[in-house]
Amino acid sequence: MASLGALLLLIAFVTAAYAVAASVAGARRRNTRLIESGVGAFYTVAALMTVASGIIIYAFIAGDYSIRYVQRYSDSVQPVFYKITSYWGGLDGSVMFWVFLLSCFGSVAVKVNRDRHRELIPYVVAVIASVEMFFLFLMIIHNNPFATYLTESPTDGRGLNPLLQNFYMAIHPPTMYLGFVGLTIPYAFGMAALITGHLDDSWLRAVRRWTMFSWFFLSLGLTLGMIWAYEELGWGGYWGWDPVENAGMLPWFTATAFLHSVMVQERRGMLRVWNVSLVIITFLLTIVGTFLTRSGVVQSIHAFGEDPQLARYFAAFMIFTITFSFGWVIYRLPLLKARHELDSWLSKEAAFLANNWVLLFSAVFVLFATMFPTITEAINGERLTVGPPFFNRWMVPIGLILLVLTGTGPLLAWRKSTIMNLKDQFLWPTLAGLVVGGIVIAMGVRVWGSGLCFAFSAYVMGTLTQEFIRGANVRRGMTGTDLLTAMIGLVSRNKRRYGGYIVHVGMVLIFLGFAGEGFSRDQQLLLKPGEEAKVGDYTLHLDAIRVTDDGQKQMVTGHITVTDKHGAVLEVMKPAKWYFRKHEEEPTSEVAIRRSFSEDLYVVMPAFEIEEQTASVEVHINPLVNWVWFGFGVLAVGTGIALLPEAALGFAVAGLPAGAVTATMLLLSLLLPTGIAFAQHVETGQDPRLEKVTSPEAREVAHKLACWCGGCSKLPVGQCSCGHCAIERAKIDVMLKDGKSESEILKFYVDTFGGNQILSEPPNSGSGRVVWLMPVVVGLGGFMIAAFLAVRWSSRRASVAGMPAGMEDPEMAARLNDELRDLD
Amino acid sequence: MKYKAVKIGLTSLVLAMTFGGLLYTTMAEGTEYYKHVDEVMAQPDAWYGKKLQLHGFVVPDSIMKRKNTLDYQFQVQSNGHIVNATYTGVVPDTFKSDSEVVLKGVLSADGFTTQPNGVMAKCPSKYEAKTAGATAPSVKY
Repeated sequence: MASLGALLLLIAFVTAAYAVAASVAGARRRNTRLIESGVGAFYTVAALMTVASGIIIYAFIAGDYSIRYVQRYSDSVQPVFYKITSYWGGLDGSVMFWVFLLSCFGSVAVKVNRDRHRELIPYVVAVIASVEMFFLFLMIIHNNPFATYLTESPTDGRGLNPLLQNFYMAIHPPTMYLGFVGLTIPYAFGMAALITGHLDDSWLRAVRRWTMFSWFFLSLGLTLGMIWAYEELGWGGYWGWDPVENAGMLPWFTATAFLHSVMVQERRGMLRVWNVSLVIITFLLTIVGTFLTRSGVVQSIHAFGEDPQLARYFAAFMIFTITFSFGWVIYRLPLLKARHELDSWLSKEAAFLANNWVLLFSAVFVLFATMFPTITEAINGERLTVGPPFFNRWMVPIGLILLVLTGTGPLLAWRKSTIMNLKDQFLWPTLAGLVVGGIVIAMGVRVWGSGLCFAFSAYVMGTLTQEFIRGANVRRGMTGTDLLTAMIGLVSRNKRRYGGYIVHVGMVLIFLGFAGEGFSRDQQLLLKPGEEAKVGDYTLHLDAIRVTDDGQKQMVTGHITVTDKHGAVLEVMKPAKWYFRKHEEEPTSEVAIRRSFSEDLYVVMPAFEIEEQTASVEVHINPLVNWVWFGFGVLAVGTGIALLPEAALGFAVAGLPAGAVTATMLLLSLLLPTGIAFAQHVETGQDPRLEKVTSPEAREVAHKLACWCGGCSKLPVGQCSCGHCAIERAKIDVMLKDGKSESEILKFYVDTFGGNQILSEPPNSGSGRVVWLMPVVVGLGGFMIAAFLAVRWSSRRASVAGMPAGMEDPEMAARLNDELRDLD
Repeated sequence: MKYKAVKIGLTSLVLAMTFGGLLYTTMAEGTEYYKHVDEVMAQPDAWYGKKLQLHGFVVPDSIMKRKNTLDYQFQVQSNGHIVNATYTGVVPDTFKSDSEVVLKGVLSADGFTTQPNGVMAKCPSKYEAKTAGATAPSVKY
């Protein structure tokens, strides 16, 4: 099975290479046959990746532990659901999953647009297939998910960490990937438009929906990640500006910017360079995000491991992409001239422009602050870091500016707003903002960020309500129905605009949730049974600490009765500490949350002493948190409405009933609350012995040696659990402490055992280097051959000289005629 | 046209300088040094009073907790250098002997004083550990 999988990846790589070559050549020779074959090859990649995914999932379910990846991320006791999700649990599989999604998305996008954007398709295929080639290349030479153990394989896997066997954690990565991968499609269309010079707005229409669709999944992924952090990690918050979180946020900023500025180009023909650049930047940021989490460039509490070699591949790919993409932008600058100039700063265009600057600035700022440790280390060797307070100090004002713009943009007219219409438009929203602002001050709220946020939220809501009511009134006048019917009619008539407004309502609610954080309180208590403590308006009374066992785990639960300020009992909360069998060393803290729309009471019991019967309890009061999740629900509905017009999965599958997308979106948002029921740990076995190794340096050296005990099929010494290896690891540790270098130690072992067979990987010198070079040469060779064929095949065009280009095919000629007629 | 270019140039310059200035001033308060225990303990007095993020491994069996309080005392090491640390508050589940930690706080002659919520233990991640990634298996079919 494993070798079949590996073979499929190789075939996929070759097929993708053919797709690039055939479609580029076909486009240059105007040879429809060649283009068709390229598209066919492109579909084939999707088919191959589907089969390969089937194989790896089968291997997980069947428990084929001869495959390293399967052995490392699952075990036999894991439930089937988590066995399947283990597919994207680790680095190798996540890259493969990425290619699988990209090939499927790409195929759908090409299929749907084949007739509408005929001239762009070959280059769309070429760009997407090149990206696929890069990731396939990575997999084949560096992270092969189908790599196996050479001889005897272990009988059981190491299992997925229990913290991550959680409903949200299972669906959070794929939604993030959907968002990330989906953003490759707009990039491919943008590049195709640049290369072909078809820079009218038609490529924008093709990608708008894809961007919206990907944007939705990105938002969903971020929200799921936040919920997971909030419910599982037990630190009382949901966003910590961790590099991995930031990596997901970066393309979200620029995709949001693009969704707005695209309107300016459609309406006014401005910002054309800007839009195409945004699409490119967004794509680059998805790659940066993947790069940051997988290369170990930034220190993160939960990044994939450090991997300098992978970092180099990614760096090369990014440099190439930047040069290639912006090279084309510069080359096509004359074609990208704006049709209009900005008439006035009091216009919708200007508001959109401001919105774009702020969003782009956010992306640049977050990227800068995330990379800051790496940058300073590169400059003066000191690793300086910046923490959440620094991020907050900048992002709070930025967020507030965005919020104001959300309320201002809809009120301004295109081109230029007159004083009259300003007065008319701004009166009520401004009043709403001022009134709420006044109330906030009167109530004595002194957290300026939150206070402003409330006032601005009122202003935005004023704007949106006014838009809805005015629109509905006009419609009521025309159709003579009641206000509500008119409003529904309004939304369904102008789905994109009003769907967008609903998304904004969702954003306002999310901002309210953020503002609530300004009032959060936390307190650490030490309680004995019978004692009580006051936190805010709540009184917490510890009734008892109970120890129970359900066979799978031992549970130490604090029973805490919570009463309000009048002494009425609200709830008995049960924060717990769970000790899973085989995982006693790694207890998990179970959070108890009492939810309400005004605030959450969040109780954790991180430690206890059973002999003394004391529990340390951490209490967080988080006002308005639930509005973040609720706001996301509204946002999802809004996106669904905006996506509706041409039905189903963005602009994709045309025949589907119009309600399908909304239904899907609603179902997805319904999954969130039901997920809570599943958000439980599931037991797995992870061999704790594997973790007990000496110093990290010794571990690194030990990993370069293969165990020779004979019982473990030559696992690296750093991994093997035999007693023999434990002794060797200790020896290595001693040698390191004696000041011996890594190569000296390795040389010692090679000399002692008389040959290189003791090394678990070929030495990076002399003949050993050939082994290292081989895959790189093969991979690069693939690219070279693809490029060569592309040039070779397209140069044959000269041989059909005399015939006007594109005229050799009667079908093509007929279509060309049709299209020309349409233009007239 | 030329006038417009000058206008845009000036605006961007002013904006860039404002942001740069703001960034610089906020940065001065916001930054912390990220150091390994051995780097700092090689010359401890040079680091007294500076905001630090200290990376190291908890020395086995060094964690002590005062009864009925949340006061912790423990040792963190890397490459043989050891520092004494104190902390008051709740520690993460993953904080235990041998675990990899990053401590935020200030070093003084008495040891390392960790600020509230300043203990970060590496997440037990499903993602690969450093070594596993570095020795990714060569391709075998």
